[in-house]
Order: sequence, then structure tokens, then C-alpha cells
Amino acid sequence: MRRLFLIILVLIAGYLHVVFLGKASEEMKKLPQGDDHAFILPSPILKVAALEYQGLASDVLFLNSMAFIGETQERKERPRVKEWEWRWWLKTLDAATDLDPYFFDPYFYANAFLPWDAHMAEETNHLLEKGSRYRNWDWMLPFFIGFNDFFFLQKNVEAVPFLMEASRRPGGEPMLASIAARLAFKENQTETAIFFLEETVRRTDEESLKKIYETRIQALRSIAILEKGVASYKKKFGKLPPTVDELVHRNIINKLPLDPYGGTYFVEQDGKVRSTTSSDLEPYISPAMKSFH
Amino acid sequence: MTSLWPIAFITFKEGIRNRAIYGITLFALLLFGATALVATMVPREVGKVSVDMALSTISFSGLLIVLFVGINLMAKDLDKRTIYTVLARSVSRPQYIVGKFLGMVLLITVTTLSLSVMAMAATFILKMTHAEFFTRFSWSMIALSVFLTTLMLILLSAVSFLFASFTSTSFITLVLTIITYIIGQSISGVKALIESPPQALGFTVSPVTMKLVQAAYYLFPNLSLFNIKLQAAHDLPVATSYVVWTVLYGVVYICLAITLAALIFRKKEFP
Repeated sequence: MRRLFLIILVLIAGYLHVVFLGKASEEMKKLPQGDDHAFILPSPILKVAALEYQGLASDVLFLNSMAFIGETQERKERPRVKEWEWRWWLKTLDAATDLDPYFFDPYFYANAFLPWDAHMAEETNHLLEKGSRYRNWDWMLPFFIGFNDFFFLQKNVEAVPFLMEASRRPGGEPMLASIAARLAFKENQTETAIFFLEETVRRTDEESLKKIYETRIQALRSIAILEKGVASYKKKFGKLPPTVDELVHRNIINKLPLDPYGGTYFVEQDGKVRSTTSSDLEPYISPAMKSFH
Repeated sequence: MTSLWPIAFITFKEGIRNRAIYGITLFALLLFGATALVATMVPREVGKVSVDMALSTISFSGLLIVLFVGINLMAKDLDKRTIYTVLARSVSRPQYIVGKFLGMVLLITVTTLSLSVMAMAATFILKMTHAEFFTRFSWSMIALSVFLTTLMLILLSAVSFLFASFTSTSFITLVLTIITYIIGQSISGVKALIESPPQALGFTVSPVTMKLVQAAYYLFPNLSLFNIKLQAAHDLPVATSYVVWTVLYGVVYICLAITLAALIFRKKEFP
């Protein structure tokens, strides 16, 4: 009898434990407190605190940052990630690569998101330069720096030495030489960018990341078609088309290409084709729209 | 010399029979299982993360053995008064210390070896399933890292023997050994940090702190020397001269600690 009573007591306590834990942690979320993502310890302190487990600490920081990216994918608000969150994210990856500067993944993911979504190409290149210095066998990191210099920062001259460096490293010789050569021609910017990105996709295994890159390529392809159309329109009529629809009317292109980001294209005064949204492709956003980002 | 081996062997047997060993092994097994889980969460460098996890598990489990099995082995003889029966035979006190230590060396070597076999098995399975992410990977570097970790654990154990020779309870020995471990792992980082120029540091270090850290640097064993996990994880070159000097440093420090322990133990008064 007493034993039965004790067993029932244990069962009830076990159940209540689960209930109370749930209630208490729900309440805890409402407590006024700092954000989990608000700070990161400076790397020299992290290094000392990690004792002999620096590699492991670096892995943990990186997994943390990946969990953050995963969490933001479910957010409804726009922009999904706030600017200070991107800054924290960069700092985390910077710390992870201070603990283990040879760790490739933090560089790779920083490059996949920061220049595009956070418009932080300059900062990304800073991080990538650290990686390129340590991983001196890896052609991808100088390749990314070169791309960011060319595409986001419009520094073609600065991009060339990084691409040449990448071509000297084992893995990516033939196409890198041709990209470096293409950079000389300002007018083929969009096609050069597509070429760059196709190479990146070819070396990317993760499906979700591949999809993000493919959308970027698709947007650039649409712009490339329109740019070609605008050029031949100008040749034919001696002036810029007032709208992109004009290109279809005059049978220069068959139909308007879609903007995968859901925006519409228009022709700027300088003859460049830009989109109202293309949020990922900063150089192709109209200056007027940039103020929104 | 002949009386050393029986003591060493008994110490080893006693250590292996310790229940804590089972707990630590189970813990290590769980972590090796977790290696597969965590490493596959990393998109690319599965190899690097699995080596990180495996080597960290080995050294952390080894640390637990030094702290919770090793120190107990020393204390038990005093607590249970079995030391009188040992010393009543023709065993001198220094012989007793050295014998105990040799048993501990044997215990650490056997346990890290068996942990390494488990770690290698876990890494091997991951390498089979994710071969494309194991481009910079070398078994010999992992073996070298395990070897240096073992030496580090033996060194720490030697230091714990030194503490045990003059403290009155095993708890104080435990605390002192943990402190030594933490200082030993971080001292070269701290020294580098405070010796860097004040502009880079953002604050000035007082000369007293500087001297204190420098004194600690030479007093405490520099355990971070034995840590080449990062190099092992990325298959980076480690010079032979580095390994030679580090091993020599370790051996000399071990000899020093055990000799001092034997000297102090000779004068110790038993309860």
C-alpha cells in the first residue's frame, strides 16, 4: 500500500515537473533581459578561456552562428535580419576564426550571406583576407575576395591580384585566368558576375545555399538579357528605350525576363538596367531604392 | 628497483578497478557518439570537427582520470593506513612514490590508448561516410597529438604527486592540481597577451602583474606546449625539433616533480 502511494507520488511529481518547467521557461522569456545575440567576448580572452579546447570552442561558435541563420529563415518581418544582428554574426565568425584560423566553414558562410544580405562586402573581405593568409593552399578564399571587390565594391583593379593569387593555388586555374582577363572590360560586368557565380555554385554542395546562389544567377541573367536588348536598341534608334517594355514592342527581345525577387526592371538614365527590388544584388538596385535597405 | 614493479602493478590494478573509470569511459563513449552527430551538422569541414571532438574527448577524459582516479589512489593508502603495511616491508618512501607514479603512468597510457582506439573508430566511420570532407587529414598527426596529450597528462599527474606529498587531504591536492591545469594551459596565452604593446591591449599592465605572470610562467608547467590538436585537425606541419624539445621539457619537468615529491614525502609525518 505504502509502495503504491510512493509510486503514484513519483509519477505525479514527474508530471508536475514537466508542467512547471514549461511554465517557468515561458515566463523567463518575458523577463526583461539582454539578447542572446547581443555580445561576444573578445578573441584574446576567448583564446585563454578555451584552455586546450580552442578548436572545439571555434566549432561551437560556428554552430551557434549557423543556428542563428537557421532561425532567421523562419522570420516573417522584413528585413529578416537587423543590421546589429549581422554585425554580431560577423563578430562571432571572426572570433571562431581567431580561435581556429584554418576553419573553412565560417569564411564560406560569411561570404554567402554578408556581402549579399547585409551589404557588408568590405567587412567580409577583411575576414576572408585572414582566411586566405592562413589557408594558403585554398584558392576559394582569394577567389571570393576578388569577386566581392569586383561585384560589390566595383574595384576591378584591386580584384586582379586576388584572382591571380587564386589561380596560383591548386584547384581553380583555368577559369580564374579568364575571369581576371574579363575584369578589364567594364561593359561585360553582368556576364562576368554570372561566370563568377556559376563557378561558386559548381563548388557548393549544400542544397539550400545552392538555391540561394541560383536565384542570384537567375536575376543576373535577366539583367544581362535586358542589357543586351538596351544596347541593340540604342544602336538601332540612337537613344535609350524609355521603358523595358519598349524592347518587346520593337521586337528586340521576345518577352520580358522575370525578376526572381519579384521586382520590375527599368532603364536608368545612364543606360543601366536596374530592378525595384533585387534585394540581394546591391549593385543592381536603383540608387533611389537603396535608401530602403 | 625490484620493489618498484609490484607497487606500480598494484597501483595500476587498483586504478583500473576504480568505478570512476567506468563512468569516465561511458562519458567518453557518449561523446564519441556525439562526434558523429555534431560533425555532420557542420556543412563542410566534417573531418576537422570530428578530429577536434575526438582529441578533445581523449584529453578531457584523461584529465578526469588524473584528477579523480589518480589523486584518490595516492590518498587511499594514507586514509586506509595500508601505507604502513607497504612501508613495513623493505620499501623506502621514495621507492613507494616512484612505484606509485609508474603505476599511474601505466594507467594513463592504457586508458588514453583505449580511448584513442574508440576515437579512431568513430573518426574512421565518419571518414568512410564523408570521404570528400577529409581532404586534409592524417592519422599520424592524430597519433602524435594523442602521444603529446598522454605526456601532458603524465606531467599533470606528476605535479599532483608533488602536491599530495605535502598536503594533508586529497581535496587540497585536487584543487591545486585543477589550478595548475588551468594555469598551465593558459599561461603562455596570458603571457603573450600582457607582453603585447599597450596600444593593442587597450590598457596598461602594472609591472607587478607582469613579474607575477613571468614568475608563474617558469614555475607552472607549460601544458599548452603539448596541445597540437589544431595542427592535427588541419594536418598542418609540426617540426620534429618542436616535438623533441617539448618531449624533453616534459620529461625533465616530470623527473623534477617526482624527485621533489619523493624528497618531501621522506620527511612527511603520517597520521
